Amino acid sequence: MPGSDGKLREITRRTALGALGLGIIGATTASWPRLTGMDIPGRGDSSLSIAIMGTAADAAARQRVIDAFSKVHPEIRVKVQAIQAVDWKDFFTKILTMVAAGTPPDVVYVATEGAQLFADKLAHPLDEYLRRDAADMKEYFADVHPSLVEAFMYKGSLFQLPIDWNAANMYYNTGSLRSAGLERPADNWTHTDFRATLAAMRKANTSDFTPYYWTNRLFGGVVPWLYANDTSFLKETKSTGGDWLWTTFYANDPSRSLRSGGYQWLEPNATDPRVFESFDYLRGLVKDGLGVRPEEGGGSSLVGLFASGRIGTTPAGGYWVQGLNEAGMTEDGFDVQFFPRWRTQRHQFGTAGYAIMKTAKDKDAAWEWVKFSASLDAMRLVFTTPNTTPSRRSMVNEQLYAGKGPRHWKVFYDTLDRFPTTGPIPAPPQQAAVETALMKNVSLAVSGDEAQLKQALESMQRDLELALRRQA
Amino acid sequence: MSTATSIRPRTRSAAAKDERHPQRWLAWAFLAPTVVGMGLFTLLPIVASLALAFFRWDIISPPTFVGFDNFAEVVQDPTVRVSFLNTIMFVIVAVALQLGVALALAIMVQEKLPAWLRVFFRSAFFFPLILSAASVSIFMRYLFNEQFGVVNWLLSFVGIPAVPWLTTPGGSAAVVILVYVWQNFGFSFLLFIGGLASIPNETYEAAALDGATGLRKHLHVTLPLLSPTTLVASVMAIINALQVFDQPYVLTRGGPGDSTRTAVMVIFESAFQRLEFGQASAIGVILTIIILAITAAQLRLSKRFVFYQ
Amino acid sequence: MTTISERAEAPGSNAAHGRRNRIARNLGPRNRTMRKRTRNWSTLGRVLLLLIATVLVLGPVLWTLSTSLRPPAESFQLPPSFLPLEPDFTSYQQVFKQLNIMLLVLNSALVTGLIAVGQMATAALAGYAFANLRFRGRQALFSIVLATMMVPAQVTIVPIFMLIRGMGLSDTLLALILPAIPTAFGTFLMRQYFLGLPADLGEAAAIDGASPWRTFRSVYAPLAMPGLAIVGILAFNYHWNEFFRPLILTISEQNFTLPLGLVSLQGNLGTGSISVVLAGVVLSMIPALVVFLFGQRALQAGLTAGSGK
Repeated sequence: MPGSDGKLREITRRTALGALGLGIIGATTASWPRLTGMDIPGRGDSSLSIAIMGTAADAAARQRVIDAFSKVHPEIRVKVQAIQAVDWKDFFTKILTMVAAGTPPDVVYVATEGAQLFADKLAHPLDEYLRRDAADMKEYFADVHPSLVEAFMYKGSLFQLPIDWNAANMYYNTGSLRSAGLERPADNWTHTDFRATLAAMRKANTSDFTPYYWTNRLFGGVVPWLYANDTSFLKETKSTGGDWLWTTFYANDPSRSLRSGGYQWLEPNATDPRVFESFDYLRGLVKDGLGVRPEEGGGSSLVGLFASGRIGTTPAGGYWVQGLNEAGMTEDGFDVQFFPRWRTQRHQFGTAGYAIMKTAKDKDAAWEWVKFSASLDAMRLVFTTPNTTPSRRSMVNEQLYAGKGPRHWKVFYDTLDRFPTTGPIPAPPQQAAVETALMKNVSLAVSGDEAQLKQALESMQRDLELALRRQA
Repeated sequence: MSTATSIRPRTRSAAAKDERHPQRWLAWAFLAPTVVGMGLFTLLPIVASLALAFFRWDIISPPTFVGFDNFAEVVQDPTVRVSFLNTIMFVIVAVALQLGVALALAIMVQEKLPAWLRVFFRSAFFFPLILSAASVSIFMRYLFNEQFGVVNWLLSFVGIPAVPWLTTPGGSAAVVILVYVWQNFGFSFLLFIGGLASIPNETYEAAALDGATGLRKHLHVTLPLLSPTTLVASVMAIINALQVFDQPYVLTRGGPGDSTRTAVMVIFESAFQRLEFGQASAIGVILTIIILAITAAQLRLSKRFVFYQ
Repeated sequence: MTTISERAEAPGSNAAHGRRNRIARNLGPRNRTMRKRTRNWSTLGRVLLLLIATVLVLGPVLWTLSTSLRPPAESFQLPPSFLPLEPDFTSYQQVFKQLNIMLLVLNSALVTGLIAVGQMATAALAGYAFANLRFRGRQALFSIVLATMMVPAQVTIVPIFMLIRGMGLSDTLLALILPAIPTAFGTFLMRQYFLGLPADLGEAAAIDGASPWRTFRSVYAPLAMPGLAIVGILAFNYHWNEFFRPLILTISEQNFTLPLGLVSLQGNLGTGSISVVLAGVVLSMIPALVVFLFGQRALQAGLTAGSGK
């Protein structure tokens, strides 16, 4: 009896195991397209592949642009590939990984942080196409500020057309300003005015309130303060060339004389006395409890903190409006003003646009995409919410900010017109190494005594020297 | 647990004379998937990265042979040096803390307790192990925020002013260690629980008759008898701690300054942020040699102890 | 108070505690009345300390859960609430809006599932060969397998990447699965497990004329199922939470696993919301939590399997 029972159990066990094995094999076979990625549309075919930073939702949002593009160019098949990344540095790493994997995209949406990395190694200049289609492009350049365009000039050639951009302006919480008994600051407020504003906010609020919150990043960290003080942590020079572009498209622009063949950052400048001065100012804010010690990389808590009224002021650009709105902030809860003035009121901005890869199979088709994406029609389809600032002046309008704020949304584009020397995020081809060299020394510089500050700047200088010596 | 770890005396005689053909054939057939797989995906890459350490390569352009240049540059790089020192300091402090906390809690749980409480505590202390280090670091970062974090809020009740956890070298090193230990002590805890269970109770009874109770009992009875477990626990804790990456990467990005940059972080940064694959490999080779050396030394030590009982 | 100590000595329902409970019973009631009072007090103090430790361990997780259930504007509210009394699910809706969660879960399940199955199969075979079969070079080969555990993943990722490219598998799920199947730890674990099974079973089978293959299939393999479960659950726990390899080896979002997808919730330039991030963290914890509830014992056993020998 036990024998037959055992045998029976043995048989059922075997059947169960066999079924399990078959199940696994079946499931593997069924999911084979998923396992090999063959189910991803457009994979391995010859369509024009466009890489953007973002999620599938962002890629889907571009579907309407693709549809519109297909109407104009039915012969070009396009696929948009959204690449997820924590920041731009991470995104560029992913693109380089794709290059290494032998599957580079044809067109990449690149921000200022990577403009020179791409221009130097990976991208194809737009010059010939711009010359060819100059007549079509007039309308675009007339609507876009030359400062943005200059950021994408590299050694006399243009590599990208700016699509969206953001400057580091100053956001403030209207409630905490009012409770400190203050009015909206003047357009030309100075760094001392700013400090006084923070002090007043400090007095009027509880101890868990921070008058000035900032993060340690390339955009919106120390750099706006360095620019305002007419300096930078890298020596900024400009290369020659590019005159053809400026005479073709910006001959009558008031800031025409300022324009060049592109920015160059070749030497470190961290030991400049003005750099010390700017850092010392921030150190003072930290010491007196007016500003936080900046965290590296962070920022994911920023929207929540600001929306919950825990922060008085913080540097940010037009990209922030949508996030604040979603976090529950009303259009009267916050507002924006220019960054305070020091020796100058030069602002810092970042911009982004499509770059054609050197390896692109069909560069003419790629150019058609770049050109179409810069058109008013395409940009209207992309920028429906204020989660960034469109590069076209005509699109930064009442309608975009209606119901979401800020009241003084005009500050965003006025930044470029009022302060034509406003400059891009300093990002030489060795951007990743340079960014690390800057960021890792900031916290130390602003959270100790004067000796520690000096030491941190000296070490920054050394790190930057090393970084710039790398071949990118 | 008991089945997986118990040592049972067994006669090897039958197996020994079984050095027959079918068995050897079967052995290699059984080993084939693992041997081929590891050869391809572990050994080959190890050899390849060893070779890569002698080249300069950025993925985009073809590699060029540079001899020992990468090693020379790496050894002179102050960031690399600091990060190795950080790693060693981290290992010493974190492992000591991890073992200390785990041992203390294991002894407390192992003494008389209602069974359900014991199960509850074991599950609770084990829980952090199943979370991913990345998500743990994400929420810990909020908790340790200087202005708005819960940690500083709690400390304010005992009169401690806001600690700049993530923005000063000492503070961020402390956070990285605390978060790491928070997540990993449960592992050593379980090892100690297993070790304590294997100490015969007669030993304690004899000690009690000699008047050894409380702390003295543990000092003179538990600790010596637990030494094999302690060694195994420390070997595993040290290997793990030497490879720490997720916590400092998410919590502090290695900052401020280089204060929380670890060896593995430097490898990641030079490879995937600066595309210096040769240098990254050189650092990796050095780190691997250090890990192998430490582990070999410990295993030699532990062998003695394991056969001791 | 007496009930506490009495319950401690009651035989536990949980088989894993059997051994300890036996030991506890052996202690007997000697000296109990004499030391009752002091022991009760020390037990109370001990439980109190353990409770504090439990709060420190579970508190951060509770905070994460309750914060994810609050509207974003209240994320940093102090005093914090540790219990989600009025849950608000907008953050979760946001996660589902921003991510194709179902696809991420499918990918994670495929990757972890196939790795787990693959590891169980290969580790069972290799572990058996190392434990019960005799062949030349067994010790040496086993040492090599063990040594590979000490090389950090960051060191070999670049050659693995190139290998994957050579196989034409760049940016696929198979790129994550294949290299993870050969497992040193799993092999080690299964070897220990087979060593723990009685040798005379195999000898009896051999006397009955069973071939080595039959001995494995009919005698040892069925007995090794619990050990295999440990390997499977460990593989699941590790690879479900894995961050580094997917970060490097997958590019398309369609190929992302859950932890990787969640990172994007943090948003660029601080546009993400903390409660959305935490909602994502909580969501990613769920599968691990399920494993925790159902496979906790196997996991604990697996994690500590290295301590026995």
